[in-house]
Amino acid sequence: MEEKEIREAALKAIGDSKDLKSLEEVRISYLGKKGSVAALMARIKDLDPAERGAYGAKINGLRNEVEGAYNQKKTELEKEALEQKLKEEAIDLSLPGYEFRQGYRHPYHLIIDEVTAIFADLGFEVKEGRDVETEDYNFTYLNVPKDHPAREMQDTFYLEQGGLLLRTQTSAEQAHAMQEKFDKGPIKMICPGKTYRRDDDDPTHSHQFGQIEGLLIGKDISMADLKGTLELFVKRMFGEKRSIRFRSSYFPFTEPSVEVDVSCAKCGGKGCQMCKGTGYIEILGAGEVHPAVLRHGGYDPDVYSGFAFGVGIERVAMLRYGIDDIRRFYQNDVRFLKSF
Amino acid sequence: MKVSFNWLKTMVDLTGISPEEAAEKLTSAGVECEGLTHLATGTNLVVGEILQCSPVEGSDHLHLLQVDEGNKYGIVQIVCGAPNARAGLKVIVARPGAVLAEDKKIEKGTIKGIESDGMCCSLLELGVDRKYLSEKQIAGIEELPKEAKPGDEEVLSFLGLDDTVLELSVLPSRPDILSVENVARELSVLFERPFKEETKTLEGTFETAYAPKSETPLCPQFSLIEVRGLENGPSPLWLRRRLEGSGIRSIDKIVDIGNYVMLLTGRPLNMYDADKVKGKSLTAKLATPGPWKGMDEKTYELSGKEIGIYDEENNLACLAGILTSDEARVDEKTKNVLVECAYFDGVAIRRATVTLGLSSDSSTRFVRGIDPTRAERTLGYVATLFKELCEAKEISKPNTYDEIGREKTVIPFTSDYINKRLGTDILEEEIVALLKRDGLEIEKDGSGLKAIVPSYRLDLKEACDLSEEVIRLLGYDAIKSTFPKMELSLGGLTPYQQKRRSIRNFLTSRGLIEALTYSLVGEKEKDDYAYFGAKESYSLLNPLSPERKFLRKSLLPSLLLSASYNLSHQNEDFALFEVSDIDGVNYQGEHLAIVALGEEHLMGRLKRRPYDFYYVKGLFEAILGILGITPSRLAIAPLSKDEAGEDFHPYRSVKVSLGKKTVGVFGEPHPKARDRYGLGKTPAALLELDLKALLEVPTGNKKAAVPPRFPKIRRDLSLLIDEKVSAASLLTAAKKASALIKEAEVFDVYEGKGLPEGKKSVALCFFLYDETKTLREEEAAEAMQKAEAALLRLGAEVRS
Repeated sequence: MEEKEIREAALKAIGDSKDLKSLEEVRISYLGKKGSVAALMARIKDLDPAERGAYGAKINGLRNEVEGAYNQKKTELEKEALEQKLKEEAIDLSLPGYEFRQGYRHPYHLIIDEVTAIFADLGFEVKEGRDVETEDYNFTYLNVPKDHPAREMQDTFYLEQGGLLLRTQTSAEQAHAMQEKFDKGPIKMICPGKTYRRDDDDPTHSHQFGQIEGLLIGKDISMADLKGTLELFVKRMFGEKRSIRFRSSYFPFTEPSVEVDVSCAKCGGKGCQMCKGTGYIEILGAGEVHPAVLRHGGYDPDVYSGFAFGVGIERVAMLRYGIDDIRRFYQNDVRFLKSF
Repeated sequence: MKVSFNWLKTMVDLTGISPEEAAEKLTSAGVECEGLTHLATGTNLVVGEILQCSPVEGSDHLHLLQVDEGNKYGIVQIVCGAPNARAGLKVIVARPGAVLAEDKKIEKGTIKGIESDGMCCSLLELGVDRKYLSEKQIAGIEELPKEAKPGDEEVLSFLGLDDTVLELSVLPSRPDILSVENVARELSVLFERPFKEETKTLEGTFETAYAPKSETPLCPQFSLIEVRGLENGPSPLWLRRRLEGSGIRSIDKIVDIGNYVMLLTGRPLNMYDADKVKGKSLTAKLATPGPWKGMDEKTYELSGKEIGIYDEENNLACLAGILTSDEARVDEKTKNVLVECAYFDGVAIRRATVTLGLSSDSSTRFVRGIDPTRAERTLGYVATLFKELCEAKEISKPNTYDEIGREKTVIPFTSDYINKRLGTDILEEEIVALLKRDGLEIEKDGSGLKAIVPSYRLDLKEACDLSEEVIRLLGYDAIKSTFPKMELSLGGLTPYQQKRRSIRNFLTSRGLIEALTYSLVGEKEKDDYAYFGAKESYSLLNPLSPERKFLRKSLLPSLLLSASYNLSHQNEDFALFEVSDIDGVNYQGEHLAIVALGEEHLMGRLKRRPYDFYYVKGLFEAILGILGITPSRLAIAPLSKDEAGEDFHPYRSVKVSLGKKTVGVFGEPHPKARDRYGLGKTPAALLELDLKALLEVPTGNKKAAVPPRFPKIRRDLSLLIDEKVSAASLLTAAKKASALIKEAEVFDVYEGKGLPEGKKSVALCFFLYDETKTLREEEAAEAMQKAEAALLRLGAEVRS
């Protein structure tokens, strides 16, 4: 066959190849050792030496062209074959992924973790105390006199094991913190903990609930320092735009004592349903530590002063997450827990 | 405590100040006003006189009235259904457009085809509390007194009902607020307005023969006066309204005078019908135990700890500070009265109110705290009222038994101290002026000052109390924020707390859900799953219910109850965990517990794996890893049948020990436990650890491992072995056989069809290498032979 015809046939055969297998067969038949192009090249011995150069070049040219076409086609077919293979490996992408999802933290602990983080950043230690306390630490050292109504059987859980009770406030930790500080130096501490009151459980009351106590003792610590510190805390916890206000109140262990309100996040202080039209929500109790409490802790009130504050954990969580009933914290319905 | 705004206005000049403003200022100064109510509400009211009253046809109770509403509105036609409507009666008419209590609007209307141009009102419709009204007043329209003028539009004012009542919440530190006088004083200080104290008094004209006595230190002061020849009867309108504005119903003149003066001054009084008191003395002493009838006609069982006022024949005339007896009480016929103004110990009074389940406005004041002075001033004022209202013929001088010291509290302080405590810069003159206005006397005391406290302020005892007084009156806005100046110190979590936090983080990252359960449990749960910690639970002396009487000794029962709650609410496939303090007699620990129920979703519901022993084992091993505790330091062994009891499946649970101490248990629940906790047949896994013990295990520093330089060889063995032989024992035996075997693991276990009875097929893989050189085939083969020999000794049959 003539070189022109072979060229056409080869290129057509290459072009017509549907897969790598048939392309390989085409390659062998045209470019192989026994292939057509080799056969053409073999004819060179029948030519005049003078003509051989040109003829050789022509056949090589043909070989290159066919090889070129072959390589191109091969690349194409390989691409197609790969594409096909990949298509067969397709899967249903809509099925669920493997379970790596996080579990859930309890909202009570979320609040503790957040408050702890803010105060840890300010260099506060975290103390916990125990749920079971003595009357002295829960009342006497907090300046609650022996006949104070708070000590009543109707409000406090007393244990059958004498002299003990379930603590009614985390303030009980204040006296421990002070008494345990051997060098009687400055104290910065918070105490998150479970507290207990003899209250029937209903949507806003629980016999068991949590509080976070804060105590800071140093030299010349004032109500102004309390205000500044609480502002820092409130802005970090509830938003930069929040402001606080103090209202005169009473606790046996602080004097002055205040209730601390935070400006309502929902209406910014204008008044809405959330804050019952007042523009503020009561969040904390606080005050300047009473000199009697300092003395019980082994601190000289003429040298040291301090402030203390307390916040209800469930209360903050209920406001932040819109929880309707305090009993939900203890029900542990996973549908509820999974919202956090 | 309710306070009438109109009454306050008689003692302090409040022109231009609304009840709302007064309430706000009081609240920020610590006298919280929880609400404002009106004695009555109604607009567009007018006094009318019924000229004509005729029955309406077709109705058994309706009347057609022609009412004279004065010059401005003329005569108006009204249809009225009240039983007491009649000609000549002066009534309250609500004209069309009127808005009454509870937003009730009055319009012109037609009743039974007849036009009605307004409505005749009862006080109830104007919002007056029904406890202040008689049956007659509730059943019909209000009958106005003869002096009422038709056309008078100031109806509420005419009736003394145009008053706002402030509902004050009294802080335990401010018992003085339980006196209208002191609330007025507070307002005068806050608004800087003049205060007019009630100074009316009456000198007694004779020495009374009645003697007050006390045989108990619980009554250190007792004054009385004798009032003769008085006329009892209903009280005048102004007095009734003052009482209603304070939430108290009018009874009769004598009782009302006693209540009125108590409300005003804060000092409780008691009235005795002198003719019913036997003898000429009243003695305060501890009550004799036994039954006693009070004037509320109820019988009380006295314990003997109460204070009683006894007459000369030892009749208990009054339960001191709480309630007069049925026998000595005053009534409409009383002509002669003994008025007692005494001081009783608040603690004793409170105990009595609690044991008897009985309290009164008087007892509340004694319990909160009373100004012990000025009893005679109080009685002097009472005397004037008896003269004015009851036409008393003779009133005695006061007779007093008094052991109370008259020392006023003196507080030394400096303005420097006040400013330091508050963080303010208030000038000394300002502080002094403020405290003086507040009723304190301020004097110089060396280089400092001293404050002399008025007798009614029981809460001002030391300098810190003065700092609060200054700032609450000035207003807390006067405090500008600052930051405490302190030394640097380290804060944050301790290593123990950090480790605990990392375990909680780990568990939540593994899909577990954190729970929070009650610490108090009942008899049923208190001894379940108690494998470590307390031997004896703490128990409550005064529980609210038997289900919450004991402090739990372990966490699993509480979590199981939560899990069971979830199951019964159609929640399935979940794992709960909780970390909590556990307190018991001689035990203070912290535990971690996990309860997993159902199946773990590995790929939605497509791939699921039941929660089982291996699940909690995996978590346990991971926790050890996080804590850096090498497993070999702990001993893990199956629970004995005894130990498993009815809590754990004895063949699917283990106990973890650190030395002799049990520090953990985990596994699957016993079928009986499933019943107890309502778990049914749901796959379940439980775990409880003595977290404190594990967190306190000392762990060394991490040490870097040197990767071996020479390649390792893997060899597998397939064995047929007795079912009861544990995988761990096979691996241990093989590894012991040759030091070249560095790692050994089980990679397949098959128990089932095709195998001889009681046998299982186990496939093990071994990784062998030598740290010093490349291992040769022969050396590996030799090591494997040793391993096979060791396994044969355990009864294994090598399969390939």
